[in-house]
Amino acid sequence: MFDLAQTIYFSKVLMIGAVMTVKITFGALIIAIIVGFIMAAIRTYSKIRLLEIMVNIYVEIFRGIPPLAQLFIIYFGLAYAGVKLEPATAAVLGLGLIGGAMLTEVFRSGLNALHFGQREAALAIGMTPMMALRYIIFPQATRITLPPLGSYAIGLLKDTSIVSAIAAPEIMFYARNLVTSTFQTTLIYILAALLYFILSFPLARVVDRLERKQRAWT
Amino acid sequence: MIEFFKLYYEHLPAWWPQIVPAIGNTIGLTAGAYMLAVVLGLILAVGKTSKIGPFRWFCTGYIEVVRGIPSLAILFLLYFGLVPLGIVLDAFTAGFIGLGLSGSAYIAEVFRAGLEAVHKGQREAALAVGMTPFASFRYITLPQAIRVVLPPLLNMLIMLLKDSSICSLISTPELMLRAKDLASEYFLPMHVYLLIGVLYFALAFPLSLLAKMVQKRMSSSRRVTE
Repeated sequence: MFDLAQTIYFSKVLMIGAVMTVKITFGALIIAIIVGFIMAAIRTYSKIRLLEIMVNIYVEIFRGIPPLAQLFIIYFGLAYAGVKLEPATAAVLGLGLIGGAMLTEVFRSGLNALHFGQREAALAIGMTPMMALRYIIFPQATRITLPPLGSYAIGLLKDTSIVSAIAAPEIMFYARNLVTSTFQTTLIYILAALLYFILSFPLARVVDRLERKQRAWT
Repeated sequence: MIEFFKLYYEHLPAWWPQIVPAIGNTIGLTAGAYMLAVVLGLILAVGKTSKIGPFRWFCTGYIEVVRGIPSLAILFLLYFGLVPLGIVLDAFTAGFIGLGLSGSAYIAEVFRAGLEAVHKGQREAALAVGMTPFASFRYITLPQAIRVVLPPLLNMLIMLLKDSSICSLISTPELMLRAKDLASEYFLPMHVYLLIGVLYFALAFPLSLLAKMVQKRMSSSRRVTE
């Protein structure tokens, strides 16, 4: 039943998918960090009530709907409305926006954890609000937010598996293709699971260390 | 814009009778998987802190491995991967077990954090005043651990509810699968998926409010006792 040559062939094909998985993860992570940070900054510092409410709505909606449903809306729904996206683009966009909502919470708690006097002091010595954010708030908030950010990245890596449903050519997509041509379901899916584990395990170790380090700080 | 909603008006009477049982299935699937995950998670949390070597290694290994694998891969393994070995699960069972297995690893960590949050001295004091180990767990450790554990447990329920949608990829008859069928039958993907999104949101949002309320309550009552 076990065939080494076949196993190597399967692994090679799945590796092609793994490259795409990593690409999608990075793309979505970057969008999520940018969106999340802007939203968190608005939520914490904005004086305009309407902006704050809009951020809250964004966070609640994107956190309350399954990623799969959102991907289908972006990929199939927008195609119906005339906007045709590449599967990988739709995946990066969808996962990035969902991640943005999750990271808003992460960054917000990071910003809140800092004493407001830090910002006030920075403004008092003549820094612009932007500079205060860049040189005073950001370096300190990073420490607090790094571990949850890492856990989010792991979750994101695993969530990319569902974008196979909109035919983005990542690990799970290749796994399903291999299955339809060879019917070796057990072997292929075990290899796919193993590949995800190999990708996420080092990340999990890093997050673990960060968490331990943070406990030492506080 | 009006035309957009007119289509809902036309099609909803036909869609609704199909969607309602699917909502029921999604709730059933989530509830079942959640119960399985909580029971397994508690066992794993106890196992990870146990003094019996092999039991501890197994539990730690299980948690690490399962947390490193997407639930979709677990579902595919259970549903398609077991067939060559002669084990054929129906889609609902596979979905329920798969979600439960992947959820349990996270819930185990939640429980462990809760148990660790209670200071060791609490238990020692309880034993010192003559409580049995069980009584000290039941009356001293557990009530304090629950405060820490309850909010993340509720968040896990929301996560499982959303994760149940990926069971549609192994054709478990739940909300998302019904949505895919309707979208291809009527060729109105935007309408169907938006509607489904709203329905999931309607299920998840009250839970999310509840989680926030519990969190506030728990953290304020904690402050009083400290």
